[in-house]
Amino acid sequence: MSDRLTGGTFLIGGTEVRSSRSLAGLLIPIAVAGAALALVPLRLGNSRVLMGVAVLGLAYACYTIGFNVIFGSTGQLFLCVGALAGIGGYGAAILADTVGLPIVTSILVATLAATLVGGLLSFVAVRRSLGVIFTGIVTLIFSLSFEALVFGLGDLTGGDTGRLIKSGADTFLRDRIPPYYLMLALVLVFLLVHELLRRSHIGWALRALRDDEVAAELAGVDVARYRVYAALIGAAMLGLAGSTYAFTEGRLSPTTYGFGEVDVVVLVMLAFGGIGTLFGPIVGSVTFTIVDEILIEFGQLRHVAYGILIIGLFLRMPRGLIPTVASLWRRVRGLDRLGAAKSSDSAAGKLEAVSSEARSAE
Amino acid sequence: MIADILDGIVLGLQFGLLAAGLTLVYGLGGVLNLGYGQMAVIAAMAVAFARDAGVPPLPAVGLGLLAGGLLGLLLDRTVLRPVYRLRGEARVLLSLLLTLGVSFIVDGYLNWRYPLKALTLHIGGGAVEILGVPMRRGSLVASAITLVTVAALFVFFRRTSLGRAVRSVIEDEEGARLVGIDPSRMLRLILVLSGVLAALVAVTRAMVSPVDVKSGLSMTVFALIVTVVGGLGSVYGALLAGIILGIVNVVAADLIGTYISLIILLGAAALTILIRPAGLLGVKE
Repeated sequence: MSDRLTGGTFLIGGTEVRSSRSLAGLLIPIAVAGAALALVPLRLGNSRVLMGVAVLGLAYACYTIGFNVIFGSTGQLFLCVGALAGIGGYGAAILADTVGLPIVTSILVATLAATLVGGLLSFVAVRRSLGVIFTGIVTLIFSLSFEALVFGLGDLTGGDTGRLIKSGADTFLRDRIPPYYLMLALVLVFLLVHELLRRSHIGWALRALRDDEVAAELAGVDVARYRVYAALIGAAMLGLAGSTYAFTEGRLSPTTYGFGEVDVVVLVMLAFGGIGTLFGPIVGSVTFTIVDEILIEFGQLRHVAYGILIIGLFLRMPRGLIPTVASLWRRVRGLDRLGAAKSSDSAAGKLEAVSSEARSAE
Repeated sequence: MIADILDGIVLGLQFGLLAAGLTLVYGLGGVLNLGYGQMAVIAAMAVAFARDAGVPPLPAVGLGLLAGGLLGLLLDRTVLRPVYRLRGEARVLLSLLLTLGVSFIVDGYLNWRYPLKALTLHIGGGAVEILGVPMRRGSLVASAITLVTVAALFVFFRRTSLGRAVRSVIEDEEGARLVGIDPSRMLRLILVLSGVLAALVAVTRAMVSPVDVKSGLSMTVFALIVTVVGGLGSVYGALLAGIILGIVNVVAADLIGTYISLIILLGAAALTILIRPAGLLGVKE
């Protein structure tokens, strides 16, 4: 296969502190994260507005995990996170309101649709051996087509003004606090699935793929198949999160799943937390939801701050917060000899060396 | 039908010129500039403010082109410096992430400070008949400027030693270095040129329809799609793809309706990429 496919994973850290392989080692970190996030309504529970922000933050956490499974594990740059979530969201809303299916059934059917579309995109990209950039552009084109459809099919989607969802209007889905726990449950399940995936034979294959694709292929790893698997699982997460969020929000508009609103934000969140790490999506989405809420009065000027943040982020710690902190921690404990040798070997290590060189040159 | 095709060519020439600026920088330096549309928007705003201050049209446009060129130089001297230390796909990815940051900064500031500002250049006079079809004078002037620019680019790359030096770097960077050409200087030159081209597209678009502060992202996206369809790094491919996609867009819009035409345009682009990943006139790596 062509070498165009390989280099793209240079940002992916993968030097997270390795947890133990026992069941407790699997469950405890996720449980701790869940417990911490479960306390949020105690502080914000009185405000409908702030709980709305928190629910949206969790939805972004779900999107970021889904994107992480696809991009972080296999280097497929899917720039259609919003579109896949939107297939779930609009699909479920249409199935429930217009077709009249029960809410759970419509969520499942819409999720299945998003899964199949994500798998198809990955299948095509793999078949045509598209590199990172080309996969990004094809999925970007798909995103733009989806947005055009949302605007164009005004009868179904409400077009510009958006669509109200009638189903579930009088249930717990529109209460102040229950939607938060529903989305939190999704986040925890997704984390668990991602961790199980990393530990399964699929995870081993994906790591081998990421480290050295040619070697992995020579060792008998079916590169194409594992890429599509990762895309199917990630797209299912996106569809499920998108459709569940739709029912808790009760209202969809083109910006709910827009490219600028979802894809760009998710990419920044994941890059901040650490691409390819288990908890990177959580760190990134929580941080950005809080920062965004603090800066909300600055309106459009917030984007200036994000721009500066993106540039600073990729120059100073291209592997993201978690791998950077983890390698600092290991250095403090004097255990980094192996890690340093490994990371200076990878492209991410080179990038980091470059940025420290840039620092010392200043 | 002839009217559609003519309109499509007018639109396509602008697509093509827009993409040419992006594709040159990519072909020469492996830098994918996602702040490209924002360069055009800043240039447009420079012209608009110059016009507001009472500067006559031609000097105002001159100022806009200067602003575009300076932006290219600024990118080269600041954000892109760490990018130049990388090679291959890592360079492409870092360049697109950093310029994405730049586009955020520009968009955020302009949308906050001048949310309603737009550039419109009125070309006086009535419609002119071409092949029996009445065409707006603004479209014709815009297309004429675009064609002259394309011809100038052609002469520059084929006939001048500087243009040949640039092409030699695109073909073989190491070889160019061996014969004494400094690739980083060529890249700086091309970044300035791409800024001027972005400004020129902003100006010619403003003759047909208003260019507002929000148009940066869509210009970048269209430039990117046309670039990829034409073949990354190929100027003529970009022009050809621009004209084809322009015609597809206008014909589909007329026959079917606007939103489906956009989908057809996007579908055509996706199909080209899938069938021929190197693009229409791209060279296989």
